[in-house]
Amino acid sequence: MAQIIIPSPLRKHTGGKREVQVERSNLEDAMKELVASHPGLKTLFDRPALISVFINGSMLREKPVAWGSVSLAEQDEVTLIIPIAGG
Amino acid sequence: MAQLSQVKSINLSAALWDEIKSHCRRKLAGDFIEGETPVRRAYGMLAGDIHHDLAIVRKVIIFKINARTVEPLKSYMDDVMGRYATPSTTPLEQRGWITDPEELMASYELCDRQGLTVLGTYHMHIVPWEHDPVRDKPTRLDTVLARDSGLFMFIISLVDESRPMIRAFMEGDPQREVPIILEAGS
Repeated sequence: MAQIIIPSPLRKHTGGKREVQVERSNLEDAMKELVASHPGLKTLFDRPALISVFINGSMLREKPVAWGSVSLAEQDEVTLIIPIAGG
Repeated sequence: MAQLSQVKSINLSAALWDEIKSHCRRKLAGDFIEGETPVRRAYGMLAGDIHHDLAIVRKVIIFKINARTVEPLKSYMDDVMGRYATPSTTPLEQRGWITDPEELMASYELCDRQGLTVLGTYHMHIVPWEHDPVRDKPTRLDTVLARDSGLFMFIISLVDESRPMIRAFMEGDPQREVPIILEAGS
């Protein structure tokens, strides 16, 4: 079972939890599982191109359309990063 | 779980306020450190603790990188700025900042390791506008960019370099200001 690390500002959508366990074995399905269990996170995927994904600390280069081909192993740690910006 | 949205005041020590001011003045002077994007704009993160309705700033984390010119972030920023930025003497392509994913992740990890809550981000305004000579509030663009972030946006006015000011606005909304209690001596 992989786990998704939720950055601090997004934990309001996970009841304060830092980690969410997912059973699916590819990234696309894991993201769908995450949103299904925590619907507040759905809006993050309105602009998927802005999401950066790290697996075990390494930044994933695949674009969101290719996430279905990214396999997740037991104990993999997936971190989602949404950029912060200002004017 | 204490929520940022419940915070009614923010405590900022003199030492940390000095650290923020030093960062802003250093960038304004064009004195860049290794690995830093050479732009005269300062931006960073404030982290700390929340006790009921009081947030206490414990740490200043500067962002060294502005990913404003890196795709796909550049296209996103160009689009938002084209629609919402107030005309200014500074060209649009030189305005705005957006975090580098790896630097932001490292900042979050640092906060987790130290048991700190991310309170928000700060950036500075330096150019006075005719309709807003002090520039100590979020612009319309700031508000759009911070919407739904769940974080405070701290605005540092450095229009008058000798009299810097800091104000905090939940999600960059000018109507949702939370007072900052500056420790004596600030």
